[in-house]
Amino acid sequence: MDSPIISPIHSSVLEGTSQSTSDFSGHAWNKGRKFGFRLLFLFFVLMSIPWNVRWYTDLFAIDWTSLHYRDLYDIARFQPSFPTLGKWLPEWYGYADWIIVLLFAFVGALLWTVIDKKTQNYRKWYYWLMVIARYRAGIGIIGFAFTKVLPVQMPYPSEGILNTNFGDLTQQKIYWLSIGIVPWYQVFAGIVELLAGSLLFFRKTTFYGAALLVGALGSITFVNFAYDGGVHIYASYFVLFGLFILSYYVPDIYRLMILEQVTIPQYYYPNFQETWQYVVRIGLKATVLILFLGVLFYVQLLNFWYDPYKQPSSPGIAKLRGYYQVEEFYLNGKLLPFNPNDSLRWQDLTFEKWSSLTFKVNRAQALDLSNGGGNPIRDIDRTFEIAGVGGGRRVYHYYADTTTQTLYLEDKNTATAHFPAGKRRRGADYPNRQEAKQTAVEDVYPADWISSTAWQHIGNEDHMIDPRGTTARRSRDFAKTSLPIIRNKMILHYTTDNDGSSVILEGLDESRDSIKVVLKRQDRAYILTRSTLDAGSYDRKK
Amino acid sequence: MENSAIEKSSYWSDFEKIIFRFLFIYLLLQALPLDWKYWRHVFTVDWLHPTLTDLFNVSRYTPQLFSIYNSGDYWGLNTFVDWAILAATALIGTVGWSFFDRRTPRNYDRWYYFLRVILRYRLALGVIAYGFLKLFPLQSPAPTLSDLNTPYGDLSSWKIFSLSLGVAPSFESFLGLVEIIAGLLLLYRKTVFVGTFILLSFTGNVFLSNLAYEGGEAVYSLYLIQFALVLLAYDAPRLYTLLTLERTAVPVRFKPKYQTKYGVIGRKVLKVGFLLLFVVLYGQKAFDQYQAGGYQLPTASGLLKEGFYDVSSFVYDGKELDYGDENNVRWQNVVIEKWPTLSIQTRTRLKPAMHPVEVISRDDADRTYEFAGNGARRYYRCEKSNNGELALIALQTQNKLTKFSFTEVQASDSTVQLIGQDNTGKAINIHLRKIDKKYLLEEAKKVGRRSQLIL
Repeated sequence: MDSPIISPIHSSVLEGTSQSTSDFSGHAWNKGRKFGFRLLFLFFVLMSIPWNVRWYTDLFAIDWTSLHYRDLYDIARFQPSFPTLGKWLPEWYGYADWIIVLLFAFVGALLWTVIDKKTQNYRKWYYWLMVIARYRAGIGIIGFAFTKVLPVQMPYPSEGILNTNFGDLTQQKIYWLSIGIVPWYQVFAGIVELLAGSLLFFRKTTFYGAALLVGALGSITFVNFAYDGGVHIYASYFVLFGLFILSYYVPDIYRLMILEQVTIPQYYYPNFQETWQYVVRIGLKATVLILFLGVLFYVQLLNFWYDPYKQPSSPGIAKLRGYYQVEEFYLNGKLLPFNPNDSLRWQDLTFEKWSSLTFKVNRAQALDLSNGGGNPIRDIDRTFEIAGVGGGRRVYHYYADTTTQTLYLEDKNTATAHFPAGKRRRGADYPNRQEAKQTAVEDVYPADWISSTAWQHIGNEDHMIDPRGTTARRSRDFAKTSLPIIRNKMILHYTTDNDGSSVILEGLDESRDSIKVVLKRQDRAYILTRSTLDAGSYDRKK
Repeated sequence: MENSAIEKSSYWSDFEKIIFRFLFIYLLLQALPLDWKYWRHVFTVDWLHPTLTDLFNVSRYTPQLFSIYNSGDYWGLNTFVDWAILAATALIGTVGWSFFDRRTPRNYDRWYYFLRVILRYRLALGVIAYGFLKLFPLQSPAPTLSDLNTPYGDLSSWKIFSLSLGVAPSFESFLGLVEIIAGLLLLYRKTVFVGTFILLSFTGNVFLSNLAYEGGEAVYSLYLIQFALVLLAYDAPRLYTLLTLERTAVPVRFKPKYQTKYGVIGRKVLKVGFLLLFVVLYGQKAFDQYQAGGYQLPTASGLLKEGFYDVSSFVYDGKELDYGDENNVRWQNVVIEKWPTLSIQTRTRLKPAMHPVEVISRDDADRTYEFAGNGARRYYRCEKSNNGELALIALQTQNKLTKFSFTEVQASDSTVQLIGQDNTGKAINIHLRKIDKKYLLEEAKKVGRRSQLIL
């Protein structure tokens, strides 16, 4: 009974307290335990299979010679989803899909019980179920982890957001930004997730990985409920897997620490006798490690440097950057004096370091309440800087024709967009899923509002980022036509002094009224201190 | 099965003994309240009627050799000088102990056990005290009207952290609950390992948050972390043997044997006393404070009608100033809080006051939370003087517009007219117009993020 004591902390071993031997290999499980196992086995296997056809088509569409981080992220990210069946069930905070899986597993377990009368216990099956659960949870969480390890999931607030009042943000936005302002902390959060996932890949460290996973993702689940973050289901998916994996070790820990009995671990391991089995095992494991720890890190790093997915990646005009005060504002030639309550006059204008112009107007507008996430490729679809932001802030994406000094602007807020007559709209195209009362209208701007000459000057948006950041996925997306919606548009000509501290914008606004805006850059010293860690590269020399 | 008290001493190598002696002295110097300044504080408490402040301050003992209790550099970098001195003292003690103690056999298991008891209770006290401030969301209250009207970039990162927690009281309560449960797990010998595991993750996170958000409690969290690490070091090898080496793991069954029945009774009394004082009574006090409106924000009622006001007219020294005034004297907008605080936004900003360490102030006048970390708004306390004048006294020391006094105040349902002078004696006549402002933060909570919202 006495064993070498590894611990430097000593204890005296008492005889006669050895654990029961009921768990030893070969011992039969009782009926209840066998049924419970069958249910859990089917449940977790069904939870670990991608049920969406899209997952498979995406997988086969990957260009492995020109990887985008999202290619691998999408492999790692899936959860059971049965939209057609889910319709018949109550919403249960979005957990209906889990209930469906549980029902399937239950029926399966019943059938299994009828068919399988011989099996004494499922120790071997349990081992393989643990392998599936460990790898599913490990790969899934690592997919998430790298967007924090290289902090792009929660971007640093844009100048427009820095000038938006705290009360004019949604709860969800407030939480995301609170992580975005401390990139090094975001890195730490990512490392915790990365560590949890990596530890799950090895049998001897599985327990610690699962414990970290439950702790970290449990907290994230709660955050998503408390802040209406919208990813509580996927976060709790990992908590569920983590708890299941932990439960494997709980009886032994309970015996050792609470009952204070000598504990002999009785873990089953398959005995690989054939060489091919050994090769396959090592091969599969190595593939997972190389792909999700090595390659994913590298492509995520490229994304962090050149194409951070939540913020626009094309640099803005170098001279026009910063916070501007609107000195004079003319609408159809008439000067509107500064008054914060004016419903037409612009205030608080910012040119971001990327291709966005933002300003404030004291007039209500339909808001984009989404979380600004997803997988946008075009700058105009990267809406983190407008999603969940109110306070009258308008955010326009611009294409700049620097030859004629003209900006072609489009409103990034799709909630204000109209729907073209004669087209069916898909809910997925809009951030607010509920039907917005939008009537089909004709665009006040012609279809060729950007002339072909202007396009020649503007260039190809796909190539506006550093060539090291270009990927097949990005180019493929630019080859597609964009969403058929009518956005607010403006065409503004800009003139500026040498360093861009004084700017005059002149042209047509979203109603094709003529405007003239005289701007003066302010030395806006924020209290909030900027981190040393900053995603993207916007100061590239052409 | 029931474990009887076991006092069979195990083998300790000389090296282990030396390490133990050092840690024993060092950790006792850290954890035991030996600082006379602390006791001076304890004796000022009215123990028949202790307040939340009293109990909180009792919970937060750290040895302070070089700093004044509750001073600005409390838990600053100088704390590490204190720690170094304690470590040096422990080193000298270890040498002395090792020299004199070569002959006499000692029961190190017993000493180790009591060291752990002290650390467990010290750690439990520390986290339970903070846990209740979160369970009843006191530490980070909901944002004030002034906060809602402050640009994001004009808040310090620490303030953003606190406000962001304040907008989700359920999350704050959850964090508090985790802290309290982990603390309670430390009080029971067999669940110490669970408690320390939770606390290391939790307090480790608090430590890093304090570094990231420039909070003032990084040192205190580190202070608690060192105790948690020592506690975990006791159980870690066993768990490692079981879970990683996958070998037979042997439990520790050491339990001290009390020589007399007084020992047994004393232990019970201390344990129950701790629970009564720092869980039941402290929890009750924290809840009362929560019911009374918390401790971060003033609780007196205001003199003017709460709301966000536009400054529709600003006559300064006989001259009407428009919104675009370049001299930055003109007020842009005003927030009148539910309590006697008024905040003004002008076009110039301030260097904000900082608020690094958690302080539970009993009096409204000492509460600095509302303006700490805010660089966009100027905060004033409203006071009514005997001659009927309304005075605004600047709360931020960086604010040059230190005082306004108004001899005439005319208020209707939606307007306020203020006539008087500023601190330089210039006449001012201000007209405020209340704006029924809708905040996205509140509106989105009502309708949910999947709805259409026009704001």
